Amino acid sequence: MKCPRCESKFVNVMVKSPVGDVWEVYLCDTCKFTWRSTEGENITDPEQYDKRFKLNPEEFEKLGHIPPIPPLTKNK
Amino acid sequence: MAYRDLREFLELLETEKQLVRIKDEVMPEPDLSAIGRSAPNMDSAPAVFVENIKGYQNPVVLNVHGSWQNHALMLNMPKDTPVKDQFFRLKELWDKYPIKPVFVNKKDAPVKEVIIENDINLFDVLPLFRINEFDAGFYLSKALIVSRDPNRPDSYDEQNCGTYRIQVKGKDTVAIQPLPFHDAAIHLRNAEEKNERLPIAICLGNDPVLSFMASTPIAYVQSEYDFAGALKGAPIELTKAENSNLDIPARSEIILEGYIEPRVREIEGPFGEFPGSYSGARLQPIVKITKITHRKNPIFENLYLGMPWTEIDYLMALNTSIPLYDQIKRDFPEVEAVNAMYTHGIGAIVSTKSRFGGYGKAVAMRLLSTPHGMSYTKIVIIVDEFVDPFNLEQVMWALTTRVRPDKDVFRVPYAPGMPLDPSSEPAGMHTKLVIDATTPVAPDFGRECELLGTPIGVEKWSEILRDLRKEGGNK
Ligand SMILES: [Zn+2]
Repeated sequence: MKCPRCESKFVNVMVKSPVGDVWEVYLCDTCKFTWRSTEGENITDPEQYDKRFKLNPEEFEKLGHIPPIPPLTKNK
Repeated sequence: MAYRDLREFLELLETEKQLVRIKDEVMPEPDLSAIGRSAPNMDSAPAVFVENIKGYQNPVVLNVHGSWQNHALMLNMPKDTPVKDQFFRLKELWDKYPIKPVFVNKKDAPVKEVIIENDINLFDVLPLFRINEFDAGFYLSKALIVSRDPNRPDSYDEQNCGTYRIQVKGKDTVAIQPLPFHDAAIHLRNAEEKNERLPIAICLGNDPVLSFMASTPIAYVQSEYDFAGALKGAPIELTKAENSNLDIPARSEIILEGYIEPRVREIEGPFGEFPGSYSGARLQPIVKITKITHRKNPIFENLYLGMPWTEIDYLMALNTSIPLYDQIKRDFPEVEAVNAMYTHGIGAIVSTKSRFGGYGKAVAMRLLSTPHGMSYTKIVIIVDEFVDPFNLEQVMWALTTRVRPDKDVFRVPYAPGMPLDPSSEPAGMHTKLVIDATTPVAPDFGRECELLGTPIGVEKWSEILRDLRKEGGNK
């Protein structure tokens, strides 16, 4: 299985439905996208996931920090 | 007060026919998102209680604040109270700040009925779902989040309760978005400077006035709990968290206790936001959940947000307007009311009496120099004191009969703006637009005109007609 959003192969089952065996939720270790097995193919299928919302993991480092990490104070 | 917590408020809504129940099983996606979107589109929109969600144990309630009727009931007013009257009632209650909370023992706090400390799994308790199609995952959009300043750990007043969006990233892990100008970011900075964990409590399913205050911009050293007490006219009941010194509402449905990992950022978003567009992915802090406490049969409260108007627009409407009114009224006592409820104050309408010619323009410039108006407000409309700024039919009347575009409209180019407004270019700068729709007074002048009056007996007949309808039309 591949992540529908960034197409990483590092995906895992995060959780199974607490009641009955009716769905699973998957987590992408690379881009932290989560999706449920019962969602539509617009969400679950990497081919059909909207191109405007695809992510390229190589660009993550360039993303801004909210909020910024402050410098460590020395005397503490 | 007619209610003490979310459950009692939902009972009140049901009695007032402002709550509907869905008993048939629904899917987490796409049904819950669609329900949350559909509810506020209705006239006199109800809260929606969804009892049975496929794969989950607990129910969800949506759109609790999502209509003026529900908002009036929150303020203990009749559900058909006009918005302007709710505004004045809120202003009256606001001035009763502070009403201090009372503390109840942990063993007596309903939110401690069930305590989970091993094998934490958020999905066991919360029926999580995707709010908008291209959200990065399942979000908590209506949580009250408590934190303390680690440099002043005993300061009750500097303890903060705010609403920050939360993305679920694991069975016991979530992401949080404290924007740099919000109070929780100050607490986090002070903890990260020392490389310490910052304890937080994520409180879900609250008394509606607590949700209201958590999204209100008040001063750093003011307590949201003391304001909520003022709005209720009675103290909020608090208790202590299990793992920290945090004060949490004793009657919440669910509390997630945990800590923010210091000096760690990880990808969060995108997420559909209140201007009706997505906000992009950024690197943001991570929260580890170490304990869950909840009431028996807990109710998960969440909200849909998206293309206005949705529930969040009702929640942020008057709590944005009141502080602006307070600040302008100090210097311009002729100001009657301020409506800053469109897209969080990006649009604002002020009604005022004009002391002398050009006064409306001066009022607009004062609004554009308040802390919120300076960056948020892009379009200001000023109307006469007898025009209800919350009634858009009346405001359109003022625009069509009181504005001469050659002298009543002006722009302030390249002024401070609001980056979430997708029209701000560059992000965070915009051009202000002021429209003075007041009647000219001396030394300004306009053509002679006489306003129409109302026929004698209108008040009496309005009441008779209202009563007839209540009785079913006199069949
Ligand atoms: Zn991915």
